Amino acid sequence: MSEKLNNNITVKLICFIIAAILAIVAGIQFYDHRTYKETVVVSDSFTEKKMLSDYVPSLKNTMADTPVFFFDSGVEGGTVLYLGGTHPYEPAASLSAFVMMENINVEKGRVIIIPQANRSATTLGMLGNAYPQYYHVDTEWGSVKYKIGDRWAHPLDSWPDPFTYRHYPSGLQLTYQDLRNVNRCYPGREDGAPIERVCYAIMEIIRNEKVDLAIDSHEAAVMYPVVETYVAHERALDIAMMAAMNLSATKFYMKCEASPTNLRGLSHREWGDFSDTLAILMETPQPFTDWIVGPMTEELQTIGADEFLGTAMEHGLTYVEYDKNVGCPMKLRVGRHLSGAAEAIDWTNASFPEKEVVVNWPSYEELMEHDCGYFLHDPAKADTDKIFEI
Amino acid sequence: MYLDTTIILIAMVVAFVLSSIFLKSAEISMIIAASVGILFGVAHGWTSSFSRVFVEGLFTNLDIALLFVTASFFVNFYSESGAITTLTRKLVSKSNNKWVLLSAMAIFMLIPGAITGAGSISVFVLGSMVAMIARAMGLSEKKTAAFVFTFAILSAAAPPVNLWAMMIASGSDMPYVGFTTPLLVPILIVGALSIIYFGWGSKPKDTAEILKNLPDASKDIAWWRIILPPAVLLGVFLVSYYLPFNIPVIGLPLTFVIACIVAIICNPNKLSPKECWNIMDKTMEQIFPLIATVLSVGVLQNAMSATGVKGLIGITFITLPLVWIYISILFIAPLLQGSLNYGSAVVFGAPLIFLFNTMGYNLTIIASAMSLIFPIGDCLPPSRITGRLSCEVVGYEGSYGSFLKAVLVPCLILAAVALVMMVFPDKFAFLVL
Repeated sequence: MSEKLNNNITVKLICFIIAAILAIVAGIQFYDHRTYKETVVVSDSFTEKKMLSDYVPSLKNTMADTPVFFFDSGVEGGTVLYLGGTHPYEPAASLSAFVMMENINVEKGRVIIIPQANRSATTLGMLGNAYPQYYHVDTEWGSVKYKIGDRWAHPLDSWPDPFTYRHYPSGLQLTYQDLRNVNRCYPGREDGAPIERVCYAIMEIIRNEKVDLAIDSHEAAVMYPVVETYVAHERALDIAMMAAMNLSATKFYMKCEASPTNLRGLSHREWGDFSDTLAILMETPQPFTDWIVGPMTEELQTIGADEFLGTAMEHGLTYVEYDKNVGCPMKLRVGRHLSGAAEAIDWTNASFPEKEVVVNWPSYEELMEHDCGYFLHDPAKADTDKIFEI
Repeated sequence: MYLDTTIILIAMVVAFVLSSIFLKSAEISMIIAASVGILFGVAHGWTSSFSRVFVEGLFTNLDIALLFVTASFFVNFYSESGAITTLTRKLVSKSNNKWVLLSAMAIFMLIPGAITGAGSISVFVLGSMVAMIARAMGLSEKKTAAFVFTFAILSAAAPPVNLWAMMIASGSDMPYVGFTTPLLVPILIVGALSIIYFGWGSKPKDTAEILKNLPDASKDIAWWRIILPPAVLLGVFLVSYYLPFNIPVIGLPLTFVIACIVAIICNPNKLSPKECWNIMDKTMEQIFPLIATVLSVGVLQNAMSATGVKGLIGITFITLPLVWIYISILFIAPLLQGSLNYGSAVVFGAPLIFLFNTMGYNLTIIASAMSLIFPIGDCLPPSRITGRLSCEVVGYEGSYGSFLKAVLVPCLILAAVALVMMVFPDKFAFLVL
């Protein structure tokens, strides 16, 4: 009896020690991911940094608060907003914002960039999906580490979830975790849940800063029909259509869809309905977020070559021409966003000369030639007032 | 990649089977199978951290675990007052017609799950009362457990909140609109047929005998003490659902904690802190295996994702010829539900919706039909959460296999109705209002 009791205690003790070791090792990695800051060296066009909490003070000192970068030429013109990191598990959106911020040259009007719209969601991976925590971009001066996040804000920052999420103000029902999804909470509520407040703050930026063209960058699964696509509010539809046609003729295939009126909470719908801005969302192909891919590795995120998706392609189940040996590398996705945004600005300029914004940043062709790291600057050699940790 | 992931899948299955045979614990077997998978992933260099994938998996279903704990607290504190026994006595005294009582119990069971999207809530809140009445109506222990399970899964699939349909809609950018009738009509049909199936041939006991066999009702328990705790629970559900912009997000666990406090206050016998502690302690003992199940399923989910096993199963299924998709979805969707829970709707739901979209079918009917098939898997291993819960709440001590046999007919009816909707979606398009 006593021997059995001792064995029992020994087993429990061993289990406890194993659990403690696992918890400590994993805890260190979770803490690192939660607190890791991405570094950006902004270009000479940078003029001012604000925070979302400047627009909705209740966000101050929360993980949902995120920086807003202004690049103002000082020459009267239009205003463009570029949003990255709405869904941090689509990292080409954030990386395109970083490349933009490091290389942007604004000659007329101004550009506002929010590289991590859902900052809280950058601090964990999607539970049950075993995401790698980081991906790396090689540069001439070393490897730069960026986070792979989630679609939804971290539960530590917004918990509990309701059993069903009702979108404000339409009352439309959405899945419970979409209360933590930036692209389901627009136009937001000033006194709502954290992400509803983030969305309200972004709407306030659009309204108060009189944003003429607002672009929300995303990535989409290759088995998702709305991939390689602009989705535009009806007032921006002509611009997006012209941009898509021109891109398809000169650079890469891009299609255009009208924002559905019955799907609520999304940027391309609510930005346009609740402000005067021209609202456009862009999607690049990203195998990592497909439903039936192989192991969740950093390479799947940065290169995206996947045999299972190749089979899906052979069965006609993908919505892009997918080569399982090539994938959809990060440089392609970032390049598509950079040229996609530039094309939309060009067509806005053509349609509304009074809102002209003259701006340039690296193009799709340059990204394909040099890759992303070529356009990132070494913080060790940069002016300290140009370096920001986010 | 096919070969590697297939080897890992086989290794995980072998580890699960061997562990189940030798250790007799589904939870530990799942953890071992998941660990084997993650170790293979580490060996391949697909993941660098065994501990992170493992521990992250434990958090995947943490909310569900919290919900089970708090719901169990509520039910046990509420039962402690004698309210459930009193309520059962009153109901049986009013009517001894088995069809009326079984139909009433079925409708009661549908409500909590329909509002919350979780069939387990129906089992927790009403399972013990429904079981007492079903037994009184002459149902065997096995049929009673099957009755509770059947209406629990129907409640989870019932509108307004059907999480599988919501996740399919979310993954395919469909608004969750127009699902009420396509979900409600089949559920009412299957529910009615299930009541007939369960009630057929059973002989209700004599009212006096039923009352004699029920535990003594508390003598001085007033109606308000019986009604108030579930009324508060229902009230908070309804306020959260219909007035979401007027109150902060409460969440299901806190909702049950609030109802639990009300239940303690309403108990005519004031409970001492020690008695409260004992009830909580007993509840944790009761609920521990279920908590272990949902947490270990989370680790298994994470391991399947990390190693590509989830993708392997998904790609194998969705590249089948259409006729085989129709046939195999009846088996594969429930089996996936047994291992991935709601993740099954994400893996299968969106790709299939896009597939059917290319054929021009009515997608609301297709998504509704699929969302009726997934809940069947709630009785299947490795997780079998609602199935096990139903057996535990009812106190069914027979083999789990015999329970599965008892739920087979209602599950087949549900699957058949869903399959007809999937094969002929446009014939049912009139249901989308």
